[in-house]
Amino acid sequence: MILTIASHTFREAIRKKTLHVLIGLGVLILIVSPLIPTTDEPDARIKITLVAFFQVVMLLCIIGVIFLSATSLPHEIEDRTIYGILSKPVSRLKIVAGKIAGFALLSALLLMILSLLNMATIQRIASKLPEEYKGILKARKEFKASQFSIKGDPHHTREGILWIAGGRTGIASWSFSDLCKKSENKSSFEIELNLKIESGKGFIDTVPLVIGTENALSGRCKTEVLSAKVDKPLPVKLDAEIVQEGGAINVTIFPIHLADYVGVRHDSATVFSIQKGFVSNYAKAIVITFLKFLLIVTIAVMGSTYLSAPVSIVSALVVFLCGHILEFIRDFSLLMQHQNVHSHDLPAVLKKPNIFLVYMDYLMKKPLEWLSFILPDFKRFDSLKFLLKGINIPPETLGFSLGYTAIYAGSCLCISAIIFKKREFF
Amino acid sequence: MDSFAVRTEGLTKVYKDFWRRKSTSALTNLNLTIERGEIFGLLGPNGSGKTTTVKLLLGLLFPTSGKSWLLGYPSGDLKTKSKIGFLPEESYLYKFLNAEEILDFYAKLFDIPKKERKRLIDVLLHDVGLYPHRKRPLHQYSKGMLRRIGLAQAIINDPELVILDEPTSGLDPIGSREMKDLILKFKRQGKTVVLCSHLLADVQDICDRIAIFNRGVVQIMGSVKELLSLKNVIEFMVKNLSGNDIQAVAAFIKDRNGDVISINHPSTTLEELFVNIIQHRS
Repeated sequence: MILTIASHTFREAIRKKTLHVLIGLGVLILIVSPLIPTTDEPDARIKITLVAFFQVVMLLCIIGVIFLSATSLPHEIEDRTIYGILSKPVSRLKIVAGKIAGFALLSALLLMILSLLNMATIQRIASKLPEEYKGILKARKEFKASQFSIKGDPHHTREGILWIAGGRTGIASWSFSDLCKKSENKSSFEIELNLKIESGKGFIDTVPLVIGTENALSGRCKTEVLSAKVDKPLPVKLDAEIVQEGGAINVTIFPIHLADYVGVRHDSATVFSIQKGFVSNYAKAIVITFLKFLLIVTIAVMGSTYLSAPVSIVSALVVFLCGHILEFIRDFSLLMQHQNVHSHDLPAVLKKPNIFLVYMDYLMKKPLEWLSFILPDFKRFDSLKFLLKGINIPPETLGFSLGYTAIYAGSCLCISAIIFKKREFF
Repeated sequence: MDSFAVRTEGLTKVYKDFWRRKSTSALTNLNLTIERGEIFGLLGPNGSGKTTTVKLLLGLLFPTSGKSWLLGYPSGDLKTKSKIGFLPEESYLYKFLNAEEILDFYAKLFDIPKKERKRLIDVLLHDVGLYPHRKRPLHQYSKGMLRRIGLAQAIINDPELVILDEPTSGLDPIGSREMKDLILKFKRQGKTVVLCSHLLADVQDICDRIAIFNRGVVQIMGSVKELLSLKNVIEFMVKNLSGNDIQAVAAFIKDRNGDVISINHPSTTLEELFVNIIQHRS
């Protein structure tokens, strides 16, 4: 029964011009995106194609799907075609579930068509790239450091960053335990260092560093000198033999010159095991994006069980927008509750007791707090960051997105069914 | 099993405004019983409560007070809905589908197997005279054709109870006659028909019993024959009588203290005349 309504909803939606316009626009953007002028980096075109797909095209599609799903039930009620279904032996829960399933099917179709085109574009661009720039087409597994320490003395500490000066006065050291066991693919590893650099000589672009890698168990080690660039991650190749011997891997760095400084933190060094599997990683990203579509469709249909078509569209769009700025909403409510939190960021006038803020605090703090907990967190579905960094999407992220969508969409479905069951059709 | 096809007890519907204040009393204390196999007419002017009654019976509206049962089950029960056919007052159909597709969609809602659906749809399309137009999208249909396809969807599940809201609206006299014949066929098949109309001639022709509504209250209810019969008036219909014989019969009646109200040639109805002419010429 749900499938019957779902296929009917799908069939109705694909005959609407909204969908044709959406696909047309999406295809146009995907075709044009590789032609946009970019930086000189060879993989910039791939990145811009990915960003165009996951941010621009997907945003367009989500807005389109919101329009379709938020208006379907209200239009049926307005046209009274709903009488035909309600007078048949179909429960109202199944009608709502069928509608959601229909639009989920539509979203899947949209994603499939556009992602295939996007993938084809990426592969075409990648085929022209030199081998060393094809890193973005790999899915790297990320390993965080288990320990971080400074041997010697840090020069100074500022905003949580430890600064070490050159000439072995201080050495930053990260330890990665059991890389060998945790990694499925032992053939290739790399370290990515995200460092802050400064120099006493004035403004500089690069700082030469001594980078050492050592297996704590076998004692096998390697030392090399590399230049770190300002605001650029520094990739360092890690020999597979060092990892495969088992035991912890220690990574140490220090600047060569006395006048140079390097700013480090616990998360400044990350080890990646490099695997081929961009396609499967991309597929995971599409699955996560589909879950995002499913969630917003459920919310839009839920609104449409009670609201009129225009109000339903606006409310779904507002929820979608707020779902992306939850941190701001949460932060804003905190700001109003405790004005001393983040006070260093506030203008001086706000640090003084302000009667307007006191009233605002009184009126808004609880609603904002609750709002931030009730609204869906769409930031959890951001899979683009993984693709841009070439990081394998961890199964936990996929699992979490699945669980979150199941619980949230399930709750929305229950609420929709209750509202729709109570609804009268005049 | 309940012997009644429809039963209501004190069914009342009061429409409320946005602030939940009572605004209109659409139906007041309806006590109704409709026997199985009967054709029952709900009559009344616009806004008298006929459609509200139908919507309450189907579970599209919820009663303010009172209860109703269809085929022994409370209104809105899914078990009942599989035995009910409903034709709304307008043909509210998905206009982007064609006749075959729409019937297939509704048949699927009854879980009718694919092979059976195909056979059933062909039979129904022949019955309502739309088989040659089965591939045309509904937005190209005339109002009468939409009414016919609406009827086909209402009886796709071979229902025990058929609720028809203004079934002849939008139909030409031929279509109207065919609809009435179909309703009589339902009765012969043992189905119960609830007919909602303000076209009195239609109701008079086919209904066994009627209820007349006004301002949400049933004013009168009973069998059509009983309600329409004039108890102290006798009507003879005689053939082949000469003018002198007619005068003699009138004199005889007067002699027996009877009042002759009129002596006329009976006339046929306009509908009979229209149907005869059109069917004869075609």
